[in-house]
Amino acid sequence: SSDRKRRSYFWGALDVQEFVDKLNKEGLTDVKVEDSAEGHIVHLPNEDTLIQLEEGSTHIICEGNEGLRVKLKDILLQCLNRL
Amino acid sequence: LVMQGAEMQLLDADQAMNELGLEEHQLRFTSTVVIEYPGEVEQTVDRIYQYVKGKLKDFPVQMSADQSITVADSVLIKVSGDDDEAEKGVLVSWSYQDEDIGSYLLKLLKMGIPST
Repeated sequence: SSDRKRRSYFWGALDVQEFVDKLNKEGLTDVKVEDSAEGHIVHLPNEDTLIQLEEGSTHIICEGNEGLRVKLKDILLQCLNRL
Repeated sequence: LVMQGAEMQLLDADQAMNELGLEEHQLRFTSTVVIEYPGEVEQTVDRIYQYVKGKLKDFPVQMSADQSITVADSVLIKVSGDDDEAEKGVLVSWSYQDEDIGSYLLKLLKMGIPST
């Protein structure tokens, strides 16, 4: 099962501004960024979606819109280093 | 391929991460879908548990005492709602390493669960 899991590694911290710029570029312009104790929270009120950004982790919390989730995932992975 | 000084080594990604002292960025997803299933929350959880277990024969599927279901290494399924209402919320959460299973389960549960 380790082959299944280990396709790519992503590492590094996410640059919030770079992430928001990329969201805007993809047409997601209603974006609010708040500071949190551990990092930032990116809120997409139109999409009912929250993204918690911390130094070594990101949590995407959304309703069941798979198209949006995959889009957010792809944008996020572009902002990280890949091995 | 990792170069240290004049030495070159071919390592797998796991080892290379260790050698270079890199920490993996943990990526997690949580999505919620609404399903129609008459019956108590507990019955709904049990039905989902049986259904998922039947669909994913190659992966461990477990039910916890707190009525949540875990699948493979990182997938978590939780049901919320009222016992006397058919509409239930189903939360599916997984980390990037289980992306295939997590997204599959979300799609599966979105279509609803058969009553028997």
